Amino acid sequence: MLRLLATIRKEWLLLLRDRTGITLLFAMPLVLITVMALIEDAPFRDYQEVKFDILTVDNDHGRLGRYIQDGLQSSGQFNIVDSVKGHPVTEQAAKEMVNAGDYKICIIIPQGATGAIVSNANKIVNDISHRMGMSIALPVSTRTDSLHVTVYFDPAAKKAFKSAIHQALDNFLTQVETDLLMDRIKQQLKRKDVQETDTMQIQLKAVGLKEQFAGESKQVDVISNSVQHNVPAWSIFAMFFIVIPIGGNMIREREDGSLLRMKLIPGSYLAILAGKMLFFVGVCVVQFYLMILVGIYLLPLFGLPELLLGHSHVATFIVAACIGLAATAYGILVGTVFKTPNQALNFGAISIVILSAIGGIWIPLEIMPPTLQYIGHLSPLSWGLDAINNIYLRNMGLEHILADVSKLVVCAAVMLCIAAGIEKRRIS
Amino acid sequence: MTSIAVKDLHKTYKGALEPSLRGLSFSFQKDAIVGLLGPNGAGKTTTISILCGLVKADSGQVKIFDMPQDAAHREEIKRLVGVVPQQIALFPELTAIENLVYFGNLYGLKGKGLRSRIDEYLQLFGLEKNGNKEVHRFSGGMKRRTNIIAAILHQPQLLILDEPTAGVDVQSRSMILQFLREYNKQGVSIVYTSHLLEEAQTICSEVAIIDEGRLIVQGTPDALIAKHSNCRNLEDVFLHYTGYAVRD
Repeated sequence: MLRLLATIRKEWLLLLRDRTGITLLFAMPLVLITVMALIEDAPFRDYQEVKFDILTVDNDHGRLGRYIQDGLQSSGQFNIVDSVKGHPVTEQAAKEMVNAGDYKICIIIPQGATGAIVSNANKIVNDISHRMGMSIALPVSTRTDSLHVTVYFDPAAKKAFKSAIHQALDNFLTQVETDLLMDRIKQQLKRKDVQETDTMQIQLKAVGLKEQFAGESKQVDVISNSVQHNVPAWSIFAMFFIVIPIGGNMIREREDGSLLRMKLIPGSYLAILAGKMLFFVGVCVVQFYLMILVGIYLLPLFGLPELLLGHSHVATFIVAACIGLAATAYGILVGTVFKTPNQALNFGAISIVILSAIGGIWIPLEIMPPTLQYIGHLSPLSWGLDAINNIYLRNMGLEHILADVSKLVVCAAVMLCIAAGIEKRRIS
Repeated sequence: MTSIAVKDLHKTYKGALEPSLRGLSFSFQKDAIVGLLGPNGAGKTTTISILCGLVKADSGQVKIFDMPQDAAHREEIKRLVGVVPQQIALFPELTAIENLVYFGNLYGLKGKGLRSRIDEYLQLFGLEKNGNKEVHRFSGGMKRRTNIIAAILHQPQLLILDEPTAGVDVQSRSMILQFLREYNKQGVSIVYTSHLLEEAQTICSEVAIIDEGRLIVQGTPDALIAKHSNCRNLEDVFLHYTGYAVRD
């Protein structure tokens, strides 16, 4: 126990003397998650909360044009722009401005669009009336060609954005057609036998859509915000960067001979290694909770949502400790394999970036191709993130993190065994 | 009683073209100051590493205070042996006292007993005013002296030093050699390696010259010099046995 405590104290003193190291360990990760949460906030809003200017050229001047414009405006996502510098926008000018990237999107509502919809509705009503034995016939256009609401996108617009716009416009068109049809049906029924006092309320949507959270919490929209993804994800990333100081520490001890002296002293080296690991796992846990505090208290000051924690704080602590354990073991492995601090620094940093990229730290694994998803699930960083997501997003407890935590512990044990094998081979 | 007895020691490192030790045998009497001498690549460091239990010999026997250097006795031998490596095996960012407290703790020493022993040794080596200074601020001689203190904190019965005076000034060297003489008078056996043969001639009661992994000659410096009429000092004896060819 004395060896273990002495080693923890020694590592603590070494850390205190290394002010740059302390800054790198604690201040840089805080800056990192703040910046990443802010930068990735927009993409995480998934075009739902971001406002775009949308050019509209309404050649219809009818109900459809008004409906589309009002619908887009009321959605809160778009600012409708129908004139530039005091002049109404023409179709040609709109196309040029979108192509130049001045606007993301332009919608052209064709002349006679409302008429076409009305005519179609009348045709359906006439058909129904005829089948019901009524003689009334509403006017129907003889026009045979179909009309289209044309949409122009900025060539740089992303696919998800295009899909969202397509879906929204499709909804508006369907709504207008349905409304007009229902309107015509009501008018026809009134003419036949319904009294004036009858309100004729027809509820079109008998079955609606209601989102509910699958877990025990009421955090319905928690998964879709930047803070909930970025704070845990980049915290794990930053924790794994402990590989660099540990690797450097191991190599320095080997180079300056202090490792040799430790091995000359009676008693197991494992106690010394355990003390070192315990210290760095502790550093990782402190890092993690500091970054969580940033998510709770600092990020809301920048207009971001507050980080919501799950209910199982014990599970969170265990996950943080196990991530720290895996990161520390990785640092020891890197410090054992490589001969110079430069080699360890370069390999350590690049490998963590790769492991984080495939492990869903940068972007969620769910949106990666299947092969990458499979590879990503082999990254220790993804195990840590999965466990944290289970606690924070799904409100799960200890029993639901065991699989990921076990993987982290086994991975740490394997890395330590490999490091021990390499060290033994080096001595022999 | 012997402090160290080595018999027919063989060692070839993996991937090495030639063996480091080829049947090395010697024995040193307890309470002696023995100089283990040899040119570069003679096998001194490998021998010391095997004596300390850091490296396993391919074959042969090693006994420290009549105990075989095997798994059963390794811990006991480590308790009896102090090793001063050639490198300054200290944490440069820690102060001398912090280093010594840490290594003392690893030996199981703690509290006031440890602190008073550290203070005593710091004073003995003229470092009492620099105990709270970080080691990287020390001069080469101060580092060497602290390096020795770290190896004797647990009061070993056998002290092995690998070039303890390399790169130090005359004053520090004098202090270190004086300490070794005094320490030996307390009943501590000392084995040390050095390329400074004049120093070895002055301090050693016995020398063993090894080359190419074998013992070439062993005896007191005076006896070895007297044996060869053309040798005036230990350096001449050394060159007589190992030749003038430069070693890498």
